[in-house]
Amino acid sequence: MLDQLGNGLLLGIIISVASVALSLLYGVTRIVNFAHGEIIALGAIMTLFFSSPVDYRVLFLDKFSPLGLNFAISCFLAILVCGLFGGLLEVFLFKPLRKKEVGNIAVLVVTIGLSVLVRHLYLLFATGRVQNFPLELQRRQTYLFFDMTPRNLKVLIAGIIVMIIVGLLLTYTRLGKAMRAVRDSEELSSVSGINSDNIILLTWVSSSMLAGLAGIFQATINDVRWNMGFLILLLIFAGTVLGGIGTSFGAMVGGLMIGILVQVSVGLPFMEGHAEAKNAVALGIMILILLFRPQGIFGKKERIS
Amino acid sequence: MLSDLVFVKDLKKSFGGLKAVDIKELYFKEGQLTSIIGPNGAGKTTFFDLISGFQNADSGEILLKENNISSSQPYKIARMGMVRTFQLTKVFDRMTVMENLLFSGSNINNDSFLRSIIKSNSQKSYENNLKEKANEIMEDLNISHMADSYARELSGGQKKLLELARAIINNPEILLLDEPLAGVNPKLAEDILTLIKKLSENGITIIMVEHNIEAVMKISERIIVLAEGSLIADGNPNQIRNDKNVIEAYLGKADE
Amino acid sequence: MIKDRISLRFIFALLVTGFSIYLVFLLNTDGAPRILLNLLTFAGIYGLSAIGLNIHFGWTGLLNFGHASFMGIGAYVTLLLMPHAAGREGVITTTGLPFVAALILGIIAAALFGLLLGLPAIRLRGDYLAIVTIAAAEIFRLLVRDLESITGGVYGIINYTENFQQYRPSFIDDISDNFGFSPAQAWVCLAAWVSILLTVLFLKRLSKSPWGRALRAVREDEDAVRAMGKNAVWLKLQSFMLGAGIAGLSGVLLAFNYGSLESTVFVPLLTFYVWAIMILGGVGTITGPIFGSIIFWVIISETDRLAYILFENANGQQLAGVRFLLVGVLIMFLMIFRPSGLLGKKEELLLDVK
Repeated sequence: MLDQLGNGLLLGIIISVASVALSLLYGVTRIVNFAHGEIIALGAIMTLFFSSPVDYRVLFLDKFSPLGLNFAISCFLAILVCGLFGGLLEVFLFKPLRKKEVGNIAVLVVTIGLSVLVRHLYLLFATGRVQNFPLELQRRQTYLFFDMTPRNLKVLIAGIIVMIIVGLLLTYTRLGKAMRAVRDSEELSSVSGINSDNIILLTWVSSSMLAGLAGIFQATINDVRWNMGFLILLLIFAGTVLGGIGTSFGAMVGGLMIGILVQVSVGLPFMEGHAEAKNAVALGIMILILLFRPQGIFGKKERIS
Repeated sequence: MLSDLVFVKDLKKSFGGLKAVDIKELYFKEGQLTSIIGPNGAGKTTFFDLISGFQNADSGEILLKENNISSSQPYKIARMGMVRTFQLTKVFDRMTVMENLLFSGSNINNDSFLRSIIKSNSQKSYENNLKEKANEIMEDLNISHMADSYARELSGGQKKLLELARAIINNPEILLLDEPLAGVNPKLAEDILTLIKKLSENGITIIMVEHNIEAVMKISERIIVLAEGSLIADGNPNQIRNDKNVIEAYLGKADE
Repeated sequence: MIKDRISLRFIFALLVTGFSIYLVFLLNTDGAPRILLNLLTFAGIYGLSAIGLNIHFGWTGLLNFGHASFMGIGAYVTLLLMPHAAGREGVITTTGLPFVAALILGIIAAALFGLLLGLPAIRLRGDYLAIVTIAAAEIFRLLVRDLESITGGVYGIINYTENFQQYRPSFIDDISDNFGFSPAQAWVCLAAWVSILLTVLFLKRLSKSPWGRALRAVREDEDAVRAMGKNAVWLKLQSFMLGAGIAGLSGVLLAFNYGSLESTVFVPLLTFYVWAIMILGGVGTITGPIFGSIIFWVIISETDRLAYILFENANGQQLAGVRFLLVGVLIMFLMIFRPSGLLGKKEELLLDVK
């Protein structure tokens, strides 16, 4: 059980980071972005592309060669690319839709279509093979209560630090306050001199960068797959629902709990031999929560129907 | 024999620290025509929402015919005989006036899925009776000529009439009217007022929220005044007209 | 006046559909009948499924992104109740219910699954139902894959088609010989289209009934519905179950079209196909999905050529990749520029609803 706890924390922190990114976007734009998973995957795939050795042939029709850059630089660049991607999405897709006053349901369906499109671009670009970052294998070591590789420990610590920084930024900076103002009322905030379009753009960029980071984390502890975004998206939803939609703090806690739940459930008796179905347990819990306490742990009991 | 139809006790509701409703005790007797007035933001519509189930009170008790409906769902309360209209009319735009009425008047058994597949004769005759009733009501309200028009084509005043008609066709015991005269031209307002008086004479208990003080004074048997969520006066029109607290609450407020 | 507009749109849809079928003949010089039958069979099955989805989204404004699981429940329950063989060992079950009984139970099972999913989510905001249905579909997929002893897992279920094919009339065999396509598939194709016909007639009748009227009212204004004493949530649940049941039927037909069934059939991609078809055909219309389905399948099968051009010797994965990429593009494009699709009316759309 303790074994899985370590894995659970890892998965949890990753889901947390990704959930906060999603929650941030939802909070400001009221869009449930089903393409979020693909931005997460983008971080991983771009890092793979930037850092893999130049002779590694795995990409689109063998026509592109990876750049063979230093891993840390690759991560950095990948995150920038994700931010850029998010920004472009906002400028060329979501802002026009917003100006056209397209309803939320339509936008939701558009994000789903987008996710199908992008995901299969990845399939074509990176193939269906499971791939790994060009990092050496490490041995697990014991830290406090858990066994994990030194690299994974770094991921865990990095994740925690990122969470703390994001939390502080949101609560105490002018930007964070502006974001929350736009969330509460787009009209009001524009009257008080806050340019909501810019805030929304900024939110897209930062949410995408966070998502990319989560993807890099995920690929570091596991691997890179074309559909890794879709796989994790459901867990992110579960974490957000559990913690409470619309609250960043809730997303953090919810994500952590879901990660732990997923990994720990592998140890349960009826899961014997069905380790892959551990996700199903988390999803089942999410559905139960919606049945009994839809606002999650920290959410407000708004009129949700 | 007059009896307490609706009884409210210690009803409290706040929104994020702001008190919306705080009423110690209030009751409504059968067959009376009561108006609720008060300056804007007094909590009148919130009060309506609370007793019709569209919002949950923070604390307190609401009794309808001695049943506790404090946490009941709106549809259950409507089935118990208390039907309401809305300030901003909620007519079904993409359905005809007749369909609006047929839907409202149809009981839940008639609407059932199974019945609709089998299409029995009893359903047919029920629908025919319903249609007759709808026609009668439309005649009373002078909207028969719009029977087959889509509700979205109606004028503001006609929509108010439709909203009223939908409430009536249900044979309610208690009618909650939320600003039935708002935005309606004076002639139509007269007609609606006459109709409301007639309904009251037929025995329906009516509770009405209105801003049109003149109209309120004309037809109400009892007037309740709310200000900042609390009860500040309760009596017949004459009493209210001369009540110091009421005049003070309205000071500076232009009459409708 | 509205009736005229409908006819015009209808004729347009018929023309576009007719043209796309003609296109198939044009682009496939030999084996056209066989290809066409295959196309029509898939179009019929998916069209039926899209009709079910339309009840969810078009009639009631419900966001269901787990539609494949309703199809899957219908298929698996029906097949498991009939004589079949399952799993790696091909464990044979000889006992079972007659086809029609199993089918009815399968449809009911799908409807009940709809009830199960709808209960927690329908009283909540739209996006919650979207998430719940996706999650449930994923749970379904994982369960089907892992409960190998029951469902056959990745090895699946086989030897069940006879249960249905035994009823195949001889004239089907004659026609099939004539045109050179598979009689088994022709039988399934006929069944699919007859199902569509019956379903459409049923739904037309239902939409004019008091129940249909009540559902339309719910779509217009739920609060007003509640104020009139009706339980809006229960009405939505019922429509959810109806659409789920129809999806279940389409799932069974799909299983009989394939001849074998395993855990990779009822997956999210299937759901996206049906969504694309529904939007293309026209949200909120009863017959829209039919046209959408035919045109969609023509597009899909002919754009496989596109994949071959893009990647010389495209492998299966690349083919699938291009296909689904196009589905994604189609969904986005339609939603942004023409959400009412072929037959739908813009005013009928619920898309401004939060």
